[in-house]
Amino acid sequence: MKKYLLTLALGLMWITFANATDPAYVKAIQNQIDGMKTIKSAEESQAVSNGFLRISEANTSEWLPIYYAALTQTTAAFRFDVNKDQYFDQALELVKKADQVAPGNSEIAALNGYILMGKISLDPANRGQSLSPEAMQLFGKAISLDRENPRAVTLMSQMELGMAQFFGQGPEKACGMARMGLELFEKEEVKVDESYILPTWGKMNAEQVAGACK
Amino acid sequence: MRIRVTILLYFFLLQTYVLAQSKVSGRVLDQKGITLPGVNIFIKGTYDGATSDQSGYYSFETTEIGDQILVFKLMGFKTQELALNPLLNSQDLAPVRLIEEITEMNAVTISAGSMEASDEKKAVILRPLDIVTTPSAMGDIMGAFQTLPGTSTVGNDGRLFVRGGDASEVGIYIDGMRVGNAYGTTAGNVPTRTRFNPNLFKGTFFSTGGYSAEYGQALSSALALNTKDLSLRSQGDLSLMSVGGGYSHTLANEKYSLTVSANVFDLTPYQEIVKQDFDWERAPFSYDFELSGQQKLKKGGLLKVLARTETGGMQLWQPIPGSDERGILINLKNSYSYAQTNWRKAFENGWALFGGISYSHNFDDVTYDSLQLERRNDLIHLKGTAIKDFSDRISTKTGIEYFTHSYEETLIRADLSRDFEEKEIYFFSEWDWYLSRKFVLRGGLRGGASKLAEEEWLDPRISLAFKLSEFGQFSLAGGKFHQLPVDNFRVLNRNLGNSESNHLILNYLYQKEGITFRAEAFYKSYDDLVTFESYPQNPINLKNLGFGFAKGFDLFLRDRETIKNTDYWITYSFVDSERKFNQFTSRVQPDFAPRHNFSVVAKHFIVNMKSQIGASFSFNDGYTYTDPNSTGEMNSKTKSFQSLSISWSYLPRPNLIIHLAVSNAFGRDNVFGYSYATKPNEAGVYESIPQGQVAPRFLFLGVFLTLSKDKNANQLNNL
Repeated sequence: MKKYLLTLALGLMWITFANATDPAYVKAIQNQIDGMKTIKSAEESQAVSNGFLRISEANTSEWLPIYYAALTQTTAAFRFDVNKDQYFDQALELVKKADQVAPGNSEIAALNGYILMGKISLDPANRGQSLSPEAMQLFGKAISLDRENPRAVTLMSQMELGMAQFFGQGPEKACGMARMGLELFEKEEVKVDESYILPTWGKMNAEQVAGACK
Repeated sequence: MRIRVTILLYFFLLQTYVLAQSKVSGRVLDQKGITLPGVNIFIKGTYDGATSDQSGYYSFETTEIGDQILVFKLMGFKTQELALNPLLNSQDLAPVRLIEEITEMNAVTISAGSMEASDEKKAVILRPLDIVTTPSAMGDIMGAFQTLPGTSTVGNDGRLFVRGGDASEVGIYIDGMRVGNAYGTTAGNVPTRTRFNPNLFKGTFFSTGGYSAEYGQALSSALALNTKDLSLRSQGDLSLMSVGGGYSHTLANEKYSLTVSANVFDLTPYQEIVKQDFDWERAPFSYDFELSGQQKLKKGGLLKVLARTETGGMQLWQPIPGSDERGILINLKNSYSYAQTNWRKAFENGWALFGGISYSHNFDDVTYDSLQLERRNDLIHLKGTAIKDFSDRISTKTGIEYFTHSYEETLIRADLSRDFEEKEIYFFSEWDWYLSRKFVLRGGLRGGASKLAEEEWLDPRISLAFKLSEFGQFSLAGGKFHQLPVDNFRVLNRNLGNSESNHLILNYLYQKEGITFRAEAFYKSYDDLVTFESYPQNPINLKNLGFGFAKGFDLFLRDRETIKNTDYWITYSFVDSERKFNQFTSRVQPDFAPRHNFSVVAKHFIVNMKSQIGASFSFNDGYTYTDPNSTGEMNSKTKSFQSLSISWSYLPRPNLIIHLAVSNAFGRDNVFGYSYATKPNEAGVYESIPQGQVAPRFLFLGVFLTLSKDKNANQLNNL
């Protein structure tokens, strides 16, 4: 009996650990990440997002596929002529789920703030007051959870730039943060190899903010 | 041998496993047979699947074999599963129909009689920020609501009057808990304000009739204010105004937040600079202290606490018609406290629970000439509510409430005192039934019992809403409403029972990105209103013998879309109301129910000036009054009321706001009625004094500074 239990326990442990290194899982994620890079329409975006959701359905303890599904939805809302509020809301719902799977994850907090930035952009006069502090707080949280997260720093610099422009102030603070973000992106790029499936997006955002500083 | 066969078999099976490629294809439709693109179709537990295309078709290949489950998933629709026993090599499936989920986002909502102001709900008429930036409101919640349909401005009162009802007919709630004496005590035609600061609230629900069974003891209207949830950051807010100043400090982390604030208001310096039409002995003043706390509990519960205490007063001379002397000195002192706590929690099984307790205490000390009167008022409200969603189609809200209420008034010099003690209990249950996403029925029942009036009553209420098109909907509401008379009547006759009103409301609402149009028609009956003999100052023989009606319609248009950086709304309300009530011996048009009410509010943001400028204009066709020099009651009407207010908010730095507002900018001499001498003069004429405004204009200048680690924080909500 004891032996049986041990086998069962080991078996369960194996299942839990399996996904992290499971080549099929990594392959599936990589396939969808590749798919993400070639999205040209809202339909294609939906297909990729669904692909991530299928992976998440089969790997309920993984945050990454839900995260990517939310990111795909968010990017589509920014890029395509869709019901943007609805897309952002769906992305928010997915981010919430990801947060339940992996509480205290820096990437999830940063993405959550990014989606709120999108919501603000649709109605800045009315949403800015209530959502801006929430977004800033999420970026702050993301940075404190992982000081090396280039996306958290970059997105915060974007927020800072927007507010500095609104109030007619200099962009110095935003620029400093964007430069820091770019440095962190360089550090991150060193880590990226063939099997790297963690988020790497956002360098263009940092370059944009840094560009406004010249 | 046996082993060899097994191995052979094993390899054989493995081969089959690798080679088996099944093709799954089909089509997804919605209930009506319209194609559904974007549906996620996959074999449960695998990565194999596809997304339906623009025509609803899908197809994919899989290496799975045996019995499988095919899942169809799309946000906003119920997930469907289809068993494939077993999965065939070429699986061409019959079309699958997904059923749309009815959610708060896509379903029709009952809009008859109701106006919501919050950031979350879609049926938004006014957002919290709009309330504080409405120029004529001067930061008072009720001031902003007076620009909404169904209300009338009564400039020498300041309270909210809804559709021919008097101010006591509006029930005010904070987080579902009743607020006693929500307005500051006032005297001598000085308009009052709401005691509560608008920046406490994240949203408001304002009903002009036909409202939910959750609320009662309000013949005309329910106003529910919902306090903010957790504050996000620690900060200090400093305000310096032409009428006083204050400081508020917030401490916050992810689990709880606490805000403590203290304010001083005193109009003395202001009145020394700006000439007043009223004869002030001591300008209005008040000191207040407020505390609000929010705590997130384990597993999604939320606990809130709100407490406020204030003290203030004023002294003024009230002129007497027909006399050249200074008149009568009114000296008013008031102290007020309100405390409440509430808890709410949503459980995973579809239940949500709410519990709360509130306490209101008001004490007035009024000296009128040589008469000194003390009034004491205490109200305790206990409430428990359970909400259950049985499915996305049927839900209920059921609750029980208990009130204890005591009132006492004492004439100090005569050593005369009278009081009453009241206990009331209520039960309510309300059921929502969604026949489809486009059609909802709501039925509610509210039962109450009063110990003092020795009365029990039942209020049935029903409403429905039907979505006509993507943006437009019809809504109908009706029901019965009961309300016990005001304290100063009940204390004179404890046997006074409920007044009763029946409502019928038809509403059309059109909402499109940035544009709201609302039209509503209503009929309201009144029965068992309080009547008395003699003067309102000294009523005798009080009885439930009054009756009346109010009918009319209102129109509302709000547009944030057409003109860039500009937001405006236009309101017109028509009210035809007559009632036999108070001292009147016949049915009359009450002085608080002007027939034609019109208002416009416009706000424009000038980006390169970092400024928002605003203007609001209000108009009504005048207030009725009784002129004793001619026959009849309510036989005259004042000239029309008109007032234009303008405001300018300037944000030089993210954490600094300068706000300037002027009410009644043109200084129009508005009159709200006339007070007459009790006896005619030598020429046989009753002399009169117009009841006018405190001053032609009111000027407000405020500087608001926010101190926080986050340099972009500001107090826009404090304007």
